[in-house]
Amino acid sequence: MTSILTEIWQKRSLVFALALNDIKLRYKNSFLGFFWSFLEPLLILTVLLFVFTHVMKSTIESYPLYLLLGLIIWYMFTRSTTMGLSSLTDNAHIIQKIHLRKEIFVLSSCLTGFIMMLIEFSAFGIFLVAFSFVPPSTIFLFPLLLIELFVLSVGISLVLSIANVYFRDIKFIWQVILQAGFFLTPIIYSLDMFPSDIKVILELNPISHLITTSHNLVLYGSLPSINSVLYVMIITGSIFLLGYMVFRKKESKIGEEL
Amino acid sequence: MNNEIVLEIKNVSKVFKIHHEKNNTFFEFITSSFKRSKKTEQLGVLKDVSFSVEKGKMLGIIGSNGSGKTTLLKIIAKILVPDSGQVSITGKVIPFLELGTGFNGELTARDNVILYGLFLGFSKKEISNKLEKIIKFAELENFVDTKLKNFSTGMYARLAFSTAIEVDPDILLVDEVLSVGDESFQQKSFKKFSEFQAKGKTIIFVSHNLAQVKELCDEVMWIDNGHVKSFGDPTKIVDEFIEFSTKTNTSNEV
Repeated sequence: MTSILTEIWQKRSLVFALALNDIKLRYKNSFLGFFWSFLEPLLILTVLLFVFTHVMKSTIESYPLYLLLGLIIWYMFTRSTTMGLSSLTDNAHIIQKIHLRKEIFVLSSCLTGFIMMLIEFSAFGIFLVAFSFVPPSTIFLFPLLLIELFVLSVGISLVLSIANVYFRDIKFIWQVILQAGFFLTPIIYSLDMFPSDIKVILELNPISHLITTSHNLVLYGSLPSINSVLYVMIITGSIFLLGYMVFRKKESKIGEEL
Repeated sequence: MNNEIVLEIKNVSKVFKIHHEKNNTFFEFITSSFKRSKKTEQLGVLKDVSFSVEKGKMLGIIGSNGSGKTTLLKIIAKILVPDSGQVSITGKVIPFLELGTGFNGELTARDNVILYGLFLGFSKKEISNKLEKIIKFAELENFVDTKLKNFSTGMYARLAFSTAIEVDPDILLVDEVLSVGDESFQQKSFKKFSEFQAKGKTIIFVSHNLAQVKELCDEVMWIDNGHVKSFGDPTKIVDEFIEFSTKTNTSNEV
């Protein structure tokens, strides 16, 4: 496994170039250029904020920031896995003509999602200023959580990308799961609003833990429970390992199946 | 003097599974697992292929459509994995199976060349150093920062060929791609091939243009239905192939 990791590390400039090209192309020919990539999340977040704060009338402390933080994390997860899922089929023309480590396409898709998240966080900074909110010192642990989110997204994408090579409707199934996931994850509400037996079920979702922990680290200055940290680490590790093994087993066959 | 072997293929076989009803969706997969018969057919594309190429030689591969030429190139390029047999290669192989693999019309010529270089496994620095040479050979000095979608077909072909050949591979695999270029582009490419060989590089050239194969190659391999039918002197083998083709054609007509 280490030899493969070093090989991918040697290819890091390709992974970055693919991700950056992807972002560049996303805003191609737009008048505002790169600035648009910052303005777009700012506008969307403003609209969502306006709608949800008026509809929800939530009692959650610092609800606007609570909502935005959850949305940004959720967007990162959905974008990375959606792009990662189709990364092999989208790049079939390259995979069939050049010998490459195919993980590169999955990784660069997740990296694109990660970079877009960083841009959104700079927009989030504007909201922090606008609400004159000073984050607690626990925010310094937040980058660790983002790395975990990235690893989880890569692990899931590895499995989904292979599945999508064999079954082209995985894409649509995953969209449905994501749509349901949005409402089953504490983005617009808090898990504390549920009776404890339902809460236990919703807490099986690792993204729920990641979002709740984000809220705690960035807004409320409290640390997650050791159980929650361990649970997410074990799930993330196992999914990543599963993805890695599925990929290893099927990689040499992808060229024929695409 | 140059008899170092750079490419050796030993007993390589490859079988493709042809699905009569391929389950392309998850739901089809579930419903079909209740059915009895799984209709797949084994198609032997390469059967026990062995040959070797010496350094600095140009090997032509000929054969009718579907004989396994492209599959063989893809195996040499490690894009496909053979079911059995060994492939040993000394040096860097650059597959040139189509014009401009991975080129993106929305990116500039510069960005595309760099991306292509990264795909082939070069570092960003290595490929940046080669950029100038690539652009010069393609005669596109004034269009480095032009988006590829605004290129003419000829410009596109020149850039693609120039990128593949100037990255300096040890073994170049060329699959029927040069037929799209015009006469002068083809002449220029062939001149480049000779220069390339003079530097001790190896070329494997798949083509249906038998006159070109005769003229350019040092050795020719004829693949028929996955087998190596014959291997050796270009003129002799091309003539054998032509005779064989005409014979099968007339017998088919009868």
